[in-house]
Amino acid sequence: MLLHVVHVTRYQYTPWVESAHHVVHLKPASKPGQTLLRHSLDISPTPAQRREVVDGYGNSRSYFSLQTSHDVLRVMADSVVSTSSVLQGRDQAEGSAMTALLRSPWERVRDQFRYRAGAAYNAAWEFLFASPYVPRDDAFVQFARPSFAPGRPLPEAAHDLMARIHSTMTYESNSTEVSTPALVALKQGKGVCQDFAHIMVACCRAMGLPARYVSGYMLTQPAPGQPRLIGCDASHAWASVYCPAPQGNNGAGTGQWLDFDPTNNRAPGEDYVTLATGRDFLDVSPLRGVIRGGSQHILDVAVTVTPIESLASLESVESVD
Amino acid sequence: MENNNKSLVADLALESPTEVASALAPPALDGHFDELRGRTSVKAPANLTGTQSQSQSQAQSAAFPSFQSQTQSQTQGRESNKPADPLSKPWTTFFNFLGNNGFHDLNRRTANLRRKIRDNGVTYNVYADANGPQRPWSLDLFPMILSPTDWAEIEVGITQRTRLLNRVMADVYGPQTLLSKGLLPAALVQGHPGYLRAMQGVKPAGGMFLHIAAFDLARGPDGRWWVVSQRTQAPSGLGYLLENRLTISLLFPEAFREMKVQRLAASYKALIDGMRALSPVADSRIVLLTPGPYNETYFEHAYLARYLGLSLVEGSDLLVRNERLYLKTLRGLEPVHGLLKRLDDEYLDPLELRADSTLGVPGLLQVIRAGNVQVANAPGSAFLESSALLGFLPALSRHLLGETLAMPSLATWWCGEQAVMQDMLPQLKNCVIKPTYPGSGMASVIGHTLSQRALDEWAGRIVRQGEDYTVQTYLPLSQTPTWQGEKIAPRSAMLRVFAVPDGAGSWQVLPGGLARLAGKNENIASMQHGGSSADVWALGGFEASSSAAPSVSASVEPATSGHHTEQPHAHQAALAHTAAFLNRKQPVTSRAAENLFWLGRYTERAENTLRLAQLTLQCLGGEDQSSQPLLAWLTAMAVGNSLVLDTVPPATHARRVFERSLIASLTNAEQPASVGFNLSAIKRAASAVRERLSQEQWHVIVRTEADFFSRCEAFEAEGQLAAHALEYSPVEALRALEAASSFLAAMTGAQTDRMMRDDGWRLLSIGRNIERLSMLSDALVKGFQAGAVCDEGGFSAMVALFDSTITFHAQYHQRRDIPALLDLLVLDRDNPRSLSWVIHTLKNRLTKLATSTSSDLTDLAADLPDPARWLLTGRSTLLPASGADSDYTDLVAQLENCQASALELSDHISRRYFSHATSANHSLVT
Repeated sequence: MLLHVVHVTRYQYTPWVESAHHVVHLKPASKPGQTLLRHSLDISPTPAQRREVVDGYGNSRSYFSLQTSHDVLRVMADSVVSTSSVLQGRDQAEGSAMTALLRSPWERVRDQFRYRAGAAYNAAWEFLFASPYVPRDDAFVQFARPSFAPGRPLPEAAHDLMARIHSTMTYESNSTEVSTPALVALKQGKGVCQDFAHIMVACCRAMGLPARYVSGYMLTQPAPGQPRLIGCDASHAWASVYCPAPQGNNGAGTGQWLDFDPTNNRAPGEDYVTLATGRDFLDVSPLRGVIRGGSQHILDVAVTVTPIESLASLESVESVD
Repeated sequence: MENNNKSLVADLALESPTEVASALAPPALDGHFDELRGRTSVKAPANLTGTQSQSQSQAQSAAFPSFQSQTQSQTQGRESNKPADPLSKPWTTFFNFLGNNGFHDLNRRTANLRRKIRDNGVTYNVYADANGPQRPWSLDLFPMILSPTDWAEIEVGITQRTRLLNRVMADVYGPQTLLSKGLLPAALVQGHPGYLRAMQGVKPAGGMFLHIAAFDLARGPDGRWWVVSQRTQAPSGLGYLLENRLTISLLFPEAFREMKVQRLAASYKALIDGMRALSPVADSRIVLLTPGPYNETYFEHAYLARYLGLSLVEGSDLLVRNERLYLKTLRGLEPVHGLLKRLDDEYLDPLELRADSTLGVPGLLQVIRAGNVQVANAPGSAFLESSALLGFLPALSRHLLGETLAMPSLATWWCGEQAVMQDMLPQLKNCVIKPTYPGSGMASVIGHTLSQRALDEWAGRIVRQGEDYTVQTYLPLSQTPTWQGEKIAPRSAMLRVFAVPDGAGSWQVLPGGLARLAGKNENIASMQHGGSSADVWALGGFEASSSAAPSVSASVEPATSGHHTEQPHAHQAALAHTAAFLNRKQPVTSRAAENLFWLGRYTERAENTLRLAQLTLQCLGGEDQSSQPLLAWLTAMAVGNSLVLDTVPPATHARRVFERSLIASLTNAEQPASVGFNLSAIKRAASAVRERLSQEQWHVIVRTEADFFSRCEAFEAEGQLAAHALEYSPVEALRALEAASSFLAAMTGAQTDRMMRDDGWRLLSIGRNIERLSMLSDALVKGFQAGAVCDEGGFSAMVALFDSTITFHAQYHQRRDIPALLDLLVLDRDNPRSLSWVIHTLKNRLTKLATSTSSDLTDLAADLPDPARWLLTGRSTLLPASGADSDYTDLVAQLENCQASALELSDHISRRYFSHATSANHSLVT
């Protein structure tokens, strides 16, 4: 599937901002099942300095700074991504070994991530511990436990957990802030996709399983008979749970990350676009910054995800504009 | 107490000093090493024996015999061939130099010590907040003395350990082989909040992550030194230990000189030289980054900055442009290449670390990653501070250095490893339970102080969340002699030592340290829990191991300069000189400039309100108390300067009520401009620039405020107790005001006479003169409006307010006409309180400031009114024609213009020099 994503962030400040430093995660990843075909990041006013790096998780990250006074900051990321369904490809490639793995009990994974002297290292350790927005708390253990019956295969347990988060939590726009940690959202029983994802991540970690946070987009379907509205979509977030590589790989292999979207109670497919992965929202927030001045601001975020036929079709549309 | 002491000593008068000392000193507690006698008292308590973890990486208890067996054999060995209670060799020497007479003098020396600490303003802000008590630093009279053998052992062990920690850090932020080989658990790296992902892949210049490492050591009953913990993030103590040294060495000059105590200055110099040597540019600027005056160890930051000749800066003084770091100074942005940081890592950069940090510098991590600034220590070292790491160090040392550890750590087990945890659960009673991670709020727990039930609860916690806990052998700390007024008392001591660069790519150990002493009957040494400290004398003269660190030897210092050999101040001066040379002229940061400017304004404002309050009280009780114009003027002035609220009935109507309100408001902190408020504001502004003020100056500022408030409180309390006392309160209030006046005179004297006349000082002076111009022109305006100047009492009061009474009498005798008044208070260029003088001074300062900061202030200077001109040439137009004696409209208009100019100038200065120091950063996340 070819998806065109336009993500516009606009800050209007009062009084003017004198100088600003920003860091953004707005460039979609290239990974199995997702290819980035085109990307541009337009920043206005023009930054005094700008640098793109790859962070520790393999995400593309851009820093920029503004040293002139401004009352409006506008950041527009325009990307075209080609997606395909990952699991099908995997199953064919790894066949029965994978199937066997998916049936092995979740405790095997937990035990693999308990330290023993000289134990083999695995990069997924990084996603096992508490992180700023995903603190450790007994509340998560208690919530998660019913899904993790002894001997239950990990994907099945995680799927059940996702379903339970989906049915227990109420989705409510503006019910939480971007800075709301997972525990607060769990206690108030409602939140947005970011909270759903954080709770899922927190519950998996509470059971001793590495889990990470994924930020991205999904294609929404307009109401029947209605045209697609520009800018009415939003960025999305879901969780990803680590499933180790088949045995014989000595546990040191890369393993596989299985994605779960507790907001929609489904596995992300080719209608999803991954932007970045991290321990939690804070590692991958789309736009973060420190400004001097501008004590009041109005924020406006507009995301549009459109399926397109081909890159060429996109260009013809643009030339008409 | 002193008599007591004398009699005690007198009884022993015929004996040698060491025998006196021995008789005055009870032995250390059972099982603790007695520093005074160099051996362990009686017997060691039962200790951890025979346990060994199954873990390969943490298998270190096997390497060290239990304390018990070793102690017993040592104790027996020493006891068998020594007479009862002899002192150790260093202490024998120490007391021989003190001499029998010296014992009589110890209480006097203690008093000296206390005074010096108070005078120097050495404090430790216990709760680290604005209102928290600034507790005086606590220092014992006796040093802790380390023999050459002790020191050699420490030097070798600590140098190696610092090398090791630096390598561990380089691996964790580099190839991570320790993780991949399973030598280090991810829980102690990625699971530790001090691990900074933003530093991954960073290679600091020279591979030097750690420039300063602090280690807490304890001497066990076996006489050996053990490492208990390490601090790398922003270790404190380097300033306090220097202050301790300067204080104590002067109190025992002979012993200090003759015992070849190693000197410290060279190591401080090496720290800065080491940073400079690794700097990317030749003429590098290094600054000391502090979290600010509310930090518990701010005294030390200011002290170190002064001593090392570095600018003391807060995060808001710095900014990042194009991946480079700059200091905001009066002369614009100046590049910075080195940061000696006393700020915890997580606050360093709100862009990538804690978004709510207002102490850091946005973009700083980008500068660090680009290699454009060196930070001592590199951010991300906090995971090295975990006690849990100690259990892994032996294996890490073998792997990274191919060496065994020269100095052992206290046996330590991280309970995140299942097998280790199971082994440790039955041993908790003999151990100390410590948190693995910072921020848990948990304090260390000593097993043998717990009930069985409490022990079981702890075991339960450890089983549930093993990785959170680290278990360490309980070590009875060695006890060092302290002077307690009439006897020598042993106190448990923990020794903090510091490693700094040796200039050749490795580290040296600063030959001294900070001994932290536990309170009586306590075994935990902590400054926060009310413990004390002691100077640490590392004795030189031991040849064997000093080759590792050549610059520590005592001979490096110019130690023998005549009969007064130890000249700590000379060391300080010499180092300050070097540092000043290297750092050239210290820039004035915009924040310091702003605080100096306000220090000037508040000083003048305090002086003015003090004088006005005094004058008002005197007039209300004086012989002119019924003069209506005078009372009207005083009311207008008191209200205008916020000495009383404008709701108070004027003095013309209710003199006593007015008087009482004025007195009651003197210390009203909510009334922004009360005398008390201004004195506090002086202290606040001064505390932000403490490194620029002499100790005496700071001391005067602190005492001024404290003295005024305590006097006012005293008479207010009295007034409440007895109604009749109210009658006397003006007298008491006047006394408090007079006392404050004398303090203020000392303060302004120091400002005029004892400060470097740089741009910062010019702003201070500008601040004072702006305030003076505004206040005095306002006083004249109100005086003319109320007609007070035409009244005898009012005339005198006006002259008094300008502090010009004496001059006036000398020049004009009993003449009381307006031209004479204007001549002295407005025109006279020799009277520092005439408007002409003030304006002339302002113009001068502005011109110099403009030249030095290459900024254009010509308009500002030119726009100031020139009373000399408007009065001299146009006196006839400003003063009413003779006969019509009450129309001063033109004059008043000019005076009002003066006041307006003062405020305009203040605004302009603020915009020009401080605007970038004031607006705050805040974070956005979407």
